[in-house]
Amino acid sequence: MTAILSTLLLVAPQWVREYLTKEKQPNVFWSEYIVWPLIQIIVVLFIILTLVAYLVYLERKVSAFMQARLGPMRVGPWGLLQPAADGLKLLLKEDIIPIKADKAIFQLAPIIAVVAALVVLAVVPWGAGWGTIANVNIGLLFILAVSSVAVLGLVLAGWSSNSKYSLLGALRSSAQMLSYEIGMGLSIIGALMFARTLSMNGIVEAQRADGVWYFFFQPLGFLVYVICALGETNRAPFDLPEAESELVAGYHTEYSGFRWALFFMAEYTAMIVTSSIAVTLYLGGWSFPGLSLIEKSSPNLFVFLSIVIFATKVMVLIYAFMWIRWTWPRYRYDQLMEIGWKWMIPAGLANIVMTAIWYVLALPSTKASLPDFLKFFLRFNFMKDVSGRLVPTQWAGVIYFVATGFLITVPMVWALLAAINRRSNDFNLDEQRQLQFKLRRERLKKMENAEAAE
Amino acid sequence: MQLHGWEAVLFYVLAFSTLIMGVLVVSARLAVHSALFLISTLVNIALLFILLRAEFVAGVQILVYVGGVMVLFLFVIMLVQTRAEEEAKVKLYTGQMWPAVMLTLLLAVSFFFAMNSAQPAFRPQPSEAAAQSKEAPAESTKSGAGSQISTDTQEVGQSLYKEAALPFEIASVLLLVAMVGAVLLARGTKQEKLYEPSE
Repeated sequence: MTAILSTLLLVAPQWVREYLTKEKQPNVFWSEYIVWPLIQIIVVLFIILTLVAYLVYLERKVSAFMQARLGPMRVGPWGLLQPAADGLKLLLKEDIIPIKADKAIFQLAPIIAVVAALVVLAVVPWGAGWGTIANVNIGLLFILAVSSVAVLGLVLAGWSSNSKYSLLGALRSSAQMLSYEIGMGLSIIGALMFARTLSMNGIVEAQRADGVWYFFFQPLGFLVYVICALGETNRAPFDLPEAESELVAGYHTEYSGFRWALFFMAEYTAMIVTSSIAVTLYLGGWSFPGLSLIEKSSPNLFVFLSIVIFATKVMVLIYAFMWIRWTWPRYRYDQLMEIGWKWMIPAGLANIVMTAIWYVLALPSTKASLPDFLKFFLRFNFMKDVSGRLVPTQWAGVIYFVATGFLITVPMVWALLAAINRRSNDFNLDEQRQLQFKLRRERLKKMENAEAAE
Repeated sequence: MQLHGWEAVLFYVLAFSTLIMGVLVVSARLAVHSALFLISTLVNIALLFILLRAEFVAGVQILVYVGGVMVLFLFVIMLVQTRAEEEAKVKLYTGQMWPAVMLTLLLAVSFFFAMNSAQPAFRPQPSEAAAQSKEAPAESTKSGAGSQISTDTQEVGQSLYKEAALPFEIASVLLLVAMVGAVLLARGTKQEKLYEPSE
């Protein structure tokens, strides 16, 4: 028994060993880089995959309550075992591959989708300290890059099925995901200006140091991010790639059984990932006012509470996503593209410029090199230099950034884009059709006139 | 900089798989398969960048090439129906093997001479080696998964916006010109006429 325990102790993570043996351990390679991450990965994968199954249940329940129904009630109390029944059913279903399909790619596509969705879970900061699996320098960029690969899964699925509905769904999805990815990438840069790092844990720590969640500094960025996240995860009102009423099910029309379930899993995991980015960037991640009080006295409770806080914030956002899905109708395709290219991308760009302007105006006098007529901004001391990092001062700096964000950036960009897009509806489909009718009428009139002249 | 231990193994595995994928790109019969092999080549190159401690470049490589450019490639391939061409069993090799072999050998020889003269620069200097051996234990004693955070992103940003500001701006103007040109080409005369108000 003691032999087993001591072997276990050898591969246990450092904090466990220090906790048990009360002494410093010099060699940490195996425990810190192989065994402990593996344990974390297994735990996170297990929780996320269970959560995905229950998100489907939650989605059905939420939709049912919004439509004054009960939702699944038969399997288990309140239908709580429904996800297990669904999973079993999907496992036992026949796996059909169409004869005309490109077999290898048909099988590869769901794997790409699900792997791209699951890999990014490694760098999401689930909590403080040991709550994070990998704190990578390029964390946020890594998430964006790998989730941009997910679109490949959809595109290949649509193409390899060799079916019209699938191909149309895939074309729609690739166009949509590419467009909304740009808006998403632009919207986060404003928050990154304040955080000054791409590391996910670094961003959370920056918000703790500043004492403010970046949602209050970046209302426009948050808005653009959330809308683009909806588009990126193919959720309603942007669920055109799988519009049931027009494309049967879009890119996964030909899929059945477990392969179909993999796409479903990828979609819900992507939802969790995008909400966790939103929580990390804009809603303070695992931090919460007052949480740092117990950081010194009981570090493990601190980490546990931070994980709970993070999960709660993510679930609130996911609930908001479901709420949006079941209350808003689907956009038309041209409207979707218009929102993406004419509103979200310019708004993201404008957010970068405006945030940069506010940031430069608030620089402390040691760092600023402003022209003379802007010098009077320096006397407010909106920011101070804390060990090489610029932090907004309490409360002058915080109030300055919140006020400029909410009172100037949002209304100004809104007004500007509304003015620019004022006539963009001239290009809508109805107008085009009317224009063609008008031209035809004119042609007919001309012909009539010519006949009358004869 | 020399590769040691696992880094060397990883480098050779990645390098060879990159080359094999590159060969498969040109020898695949279906355009979509070629695109897929090209994607794996690009992913392999991104992994090589990570091996060189250039994480930011690796991330951007995947984001731009795999997530953007290659999806557009697939988009175009799917729009252009190429199945008929594939089913016709077009001959892939045109019997130009010997010229190809000669060219490859020539390239290999020139590479050999080019690399040979530069080889001494890659050997570790004595002082550098000493510094490395000193650095290594210091690094391993640090605990926690996030201890080796590099400043790679900051360095790329600094050099891009400070030292290479002009080429960067020129490239952006070039891309803008290309974009405007593409829009202009895509708008055919028929469409232009449709929006003419005075008709």
